[in-house]
Amino acid sequence: MTITRIIATTFAVAALLLHAAPARAHAFLDHSDPAVGSTVQTSPAVIHLWFTQELEPAFSSVTVTDRSGATVNDPAEIDASDRTEFNVKLKTLLPGTYKVQWHVLSVDTHTTEGDFSFHVGGK
Amino acid sequence: MKPALWGMAAVLLLLTAPSAAGAHVICGNRVFPATLTMDDPGVGDELSLPTVQLVPTPSGQSIAYGYEWDKSITRDLGFAVNGDYASQRSAAQGANGWDNLTLTLKDELPCKEKHELAWSVGVVRLLPGTGASQLRNSGVIARVGSTAPTFYIGKGLGDLPIDALRPFAVTGELSREFSDSPQLTPSAWNYAASLQYSMPYMQQHVMALKVPQFVTRLTPLVEVSMTSPSGGPTTGDIAPGVFYSAKTWQVGAEALVPANKATSQSQSLGFIVQFHLFLDDAAWKTILGKPLINKDLWK
Repeated sequence: MTITRIIATTFAVAALLLHAAPARAHAFLDHSDPAVGSTVQTSPAVIHLWFTQELEPAFSSVTVTDRSGATVNDPAEIDASDRTEFNVKLKTLLPGTYKVQWHVLSVDTHTTEGDFSFHVGGK
Repeated sequence: MKPALWGMAAVLLLLTAPSAAGAHVICGNRVFPATLTMDDPGVGDELSLPTVQLVPTPSGQSIAYGYEWDKSITRDLGFAVNGDYASQRSAAQGANGWDNLTLTLKDELPCKEKHELAWSVGVVRLLPGTGASQLRNSGVIARVGSTAPTFYIGKGLGDLPIDALRPFAVTGELSREFSDSPQLTPSAWNYAASLQYSMPYMQQHVMALKVPQFVTRLTPLVEVSMTSPSGGPTTGDIAPGVFYSAKTWQVGAEALVPANKATSQSQSLGFIVQFHLFLDDAAWKTILGKPLINKDLWK
């Protein structure tokens, strides 16, 4: 059997299995604004987080903290028209590094959590 | 249809399937993907089908078409069934048939989320006499069974202070394989490790790079798997490769490079490819995709 046929067999079986499966999964961060690890010159009014799955609002949260651990955001809200998007209103941020921690429940009942940082006015 | 056209059609079908980003053993920020030549440090509902391994030998070539089904009993206790259909080819003769079945019982210990440290313990039992008699009689597959207590560990390096190093992770596996009949087949130590660099981790937790989305789903890695039988030479492979992780599945491909002289006497450069389906995502509504008992043993 040739390598080509082996690879083709692998992909063929994979394709059949995939098309038999519904598209639901753990929710992970897809992207954000400000972006993960980025630097913005002025304090953003809102941070937007987009996830790879729709979220359950009652069991999902986002917290933004400064270096001292103080919370600098109002309660986060999931966008009513796009349940993959979290919008987090921020207080006015001084120059520094901020940590965004998210804990979400996707509509397929999987819980995930994670964090990232962004910087205001340079590191 | 020619194989190349068949392959293109299959790839197209694959690419039109639902896709996005990430899964499997999850500990805090870290997702440890399912590795190919060793087991990952977690328990879950997964299906590896197929795992195709081709290894040239001095007299011909060996191809194995493998499968593995992992099923969670509780959220942190699971079992796995795996095996393969082996095909040996040489200029003089060939032999085909099913390899012996292997059963694994595995318990995932509570992970240290802050430090991305996952670990588990298990017992792997090779069931003798479950493979093809032709292969057994010709010595291609084991004639006797074995039992192997096994320790698995995974550590993400996300707590390092240097951003560029944070996507790195290491995993390891150590087992003592006790032969049912050491005079026929010696007992052995098996040990394996992997070094991984997760682009999904980089994108989600360190720095969102402006690169094609395809790149953000790759995890280049190298695996090393060795076995040291009592009284016999240590053999094994170094397996550099790359994984592509989507929402509900993963594809991995690695070269199999003989790790030492003893190994190169029995094989030359081979390769392994695998399609891996995350059943807890792809079949989350069914019993195939969730624990039989929705509890943790350790919490």
